[in-house]
Amino acid sequence: MAFLQVVDLVKDFGGVVANNHISFNIDQGEIIGLIGPNGAGKTTLFNCIVGYHKPDSGKVIFKGKEITGFKPFMTNREGIGRTFQLMKVTAGMTVLENVMVGAFCRVDDRPIAQKEASEVLAFLGLKELQDYHLNELPIASQKKVGLARALATQPGLLMLDEVASGLNPKETEEMVGLLKKIHQEKKISLFLIEHVMEVVMPISQRVIVLDSGEKITEGLPKEIVKNERVIKAYLGEKYAKGL
Amino acid sequence: MDTLKDALDFRDFSKAERIGLLLFSIFLLVFPWLGTGSFVKAVMIQFLLFSLFGMGWNTIGGYGGQVELGKAQYVGIGAYTVALMMVWWKIPFWVSMPIGVLIALGYSFVIGYPLFRLKGHYFAIATICTSLVLQDIFINWKLVGAAKGIELPIHEHPDFLYMQFKSDNYYFYFIMVLFFAGLFYMNWFRKSKLGYQLRMIKDDEEAAQSLGIDARWCKIKAYSIASAFVAVGGGFLAVYNLYIDPYSVMDLDLSIKIALMSMLGGAASMWGPIIGAAFLVPLDRFLGSWLGGQRGLIGVDFMIYSALIMIVSAYQPRGIWGIVEQLRRRGK
Repeated sequence: MAFLQVVDLVKDFGGVVANNHISFNIDQGEIIGLIGPNGAGKTTLFNCIVGYHKPDSGKVIFKGKEITGFKPFMTNREGIGRTFQLMKVTAGMTVLENVMVGAFCRVDDRPIAQKEASEVLAFLGLKELQDYHLNELPIASQKKVGLARALATQPGLLMLDEVASGLNPKETEEMVGLLKKIHQEKKISLFLIEHVMEVVMPISQRVIVLDSGEKITEGLPKEIVKNERVIKAYLGEKYAKGL
Repeated sequence: MDTLKDALDFRDFSKAERIGLLLFSIFLLVFPWLGTGSFVKAVMIQFLLFSLFGMGWNTIGGYGGQVELGKAQYVGIGAYTVALMMVWWKIPFWVSMPIGVLIALGYSFVIGYPLFRLKGHYFAIATICTSLVLQDIFINWKLVGAAKGIELPIHEHPDFLYMQFKSDNYYFYFIMVLFFAGLFYMNWFRKSKLGYQLRMIKDDEEAAQSLGIDARWCKIKAYSIASAFVAVGGGFLAVYNLYIDPYSVMDLDLSIKIALMSMLGGAASMWGPIIGAAFLVPLDRFLGSWLGGQRGLIGVDFMIYSALIMIVSAYQPRGIWGIVEQLRRRGK
């Protein structure tokens, strides 16, 4: 049985069909990339799965349980973590406190939450930053904090919305390293929306491609880049030849 | 046990803050013996009362970041419960006050549930409206004294069952104990799971949801805690003034003062509501009695009051305590 099953999902914003009858499966322990040009409906698909949008029809099934229409906090408690493309950066809380809020999802006691948050921060190499506020950090670190607080909720599936956007090549490489580490050591399935091919191609085991709300194909990264429809829609011939 | 430890543990504050708190506590303890006049004592009592209100407001308004402008209705519920139960059934303060708090809790859930479907300005307006509606009901409700209000039967001094005293010193210590209870509660609250979750909601509600936080439910809980807090203060007001009417305990003016004091002092900080009350209560009282009494100067106190609020909120939205923290960070 699939870990996450999306069956015939439709989201119509009235005029624009953002997700048109989309179906796919993710197995436990997989890393899946979700790509497509701007406006293809990637983030909408994420939001339908985790509950920020209610799908018009179709089903979302996670670990054999139907979670269609669940509120975001409920899907999180079921075990789906997510990060955002744009993080609101405020001076309200320190890095450690941010991650503690994530840990509070599963525990009630502050000392335990603090211990778990410290562990997550150490795991991601953010220990030295724990007393800074989000607005005092560079983008790469902010993104890692977003990752850390989602991890602290102990998800089985982590959905990452453009985790490498705005990062320079070195930071991107570091981020890919972290994602691999999370996947291998924490045994968490990853589902990532990504524009940066340097992230999505080397780590994804399968790639799903959306264009104008439709799923045009899915397959191994090396197959995807040879697929004509994908090349037309998104990649551009240059990149495909380069592989 | 851990709860008690958290409530009494101030170690994560800076040394200066802890010394300040200690000196302030000593000052409060000896204050009645300083030989001040009854006017100053009345101002001090008012200051502690408004600090208590402000601490309550701070849960939802400060940590939760929701602009809440309807706390007066819960002051009214607390005050009316104590007053009516005493007039009707001779029920002592120590029974009626907790009942008032329970009613305030229940009522706040009923009001809070639909209210927190709203956000931002709409929420703020709705809180004002609910409070005004309740005030109007009490103004017209004959059974509870309508606009005339209720007088409490006077008991012989000192009555610790009904909490009635001739001397302000008793009332001072009484409100001081409530103040410290509130302070310890807030010290626990800011370190609690709910406290953390509220701050996350304030920072980024969408992200909070993705971290397993039921934002609406958290806000309702904080709103109810705030309501219970001010209901305690309302109960105190009833036995302190021995007379209440809908204008004195349920007015919009009171709601706004409670919120403004905390915002001026510094919302979402431990000391903000206390600092705000320490500024505005004496200002309100002294300016009011000094300027308000002079011919042609009526209203000048309000102008000074509002100018002060505008200056602080323009310069530092996190209030006086925000300015202190800014200076401290710059000093590092």
